[in-house]
Amino acid sequence: MSRAVPDVEATLLALSDPTRRGVIELLRFGPQRAGELAGALNMTKSAFSRHLRVLRESGLVREESMPDDARVHVYSLQREPFDGLRGWLDEVESYWTLQLESFKRHAERTRGPKPKRGRPE
Amino acid sequence: MSATAETARVITFVQVSPHDAFEVFTDEVDLWWRRGPRFRSGGPDSELCFEQDAQGRRLIERGKEGVFEIGRVQVWEPGKRLLLEYRLRNFAPNERTEVEVRFEEQGKGTRVVLEHRGWEALRPEHPARHGLSGESFSGMIGLHWGDLLTAYRQYASGRP
Repeated sequence: MSRAVPDVEATLLALSDPTRRGVIELLRFGPQRAGELAGALNMTKSAFSRHLRVLRESGLVREESMPDDARVHVYSLQREPFDGLRGWLDEVESYWTLQLESFKRHAERTRGPKPKRGRPE
Repeated sequence: MSATAETARVITFVQVSPHDAFEVFTDEVDLWWRRGPRFRSGGPDSELCFEQDAQGRRLIERGKEGVFEIGRVQVWEPGKRLLLEYRLRNFAPNERTEVEVRFEEQGKGTRVVLEHRGWEALRPEHPARHGLSGESFSGMIGLHWGDLLTAYRQYASGRP
């Protein structure tokens, strides 16, 4: 797990900005050009390029040229950082799973339905 | 805040009413909150409680070294919903994530949905300065859970 930690931090850091989260949301529907993304998010191209750089460096998105026209560059989501984040969230969920199991046992022992009469415990 | 990729979600079903489930979750938190270093950072004899003070309610852990505020309660709707700020010991004072617990009536029991989210809001004090070097960021989140798991493994393997 420790090796994955820096990646998760870079992922969370990249996701800490609403504009960058907006880019991620938009790219869920498929690859788009930088200009299209900037337009959809109402950003100037210069301010937007900084956000794209953070996203590229985090590995969340990749820029590639279109097969039929090398001059056109599109952005697409990359799966690996999300897998890393997912793995880390699994740890968080396992923590809360253990807590809720304990909560359930305590709640049902103290407030739950009583065992039926006449039956052995 | 909506559920996003950064949300951890855990669901359980308890055979008690939503009202009882909420009461157990809050009033009796110390009785069910697991013990051991993975779950309590204030020492083996630390005590958790939702404490009422002048500003409202907060979840605290009281240990040998004093009181640690895990977080203030944002929403307190008995039998329905609890929204709680959630801080770990290695967070800076202004950093917090949030935990929401919903209690939904289902048949003769309650579906309890717990979401832990807001991790993406943790950021370096000076993002421009630290950029993506990540050093201050890693110190801050520490990745607490990694620390906890390490401590937990040591604890588990070191038991007589």
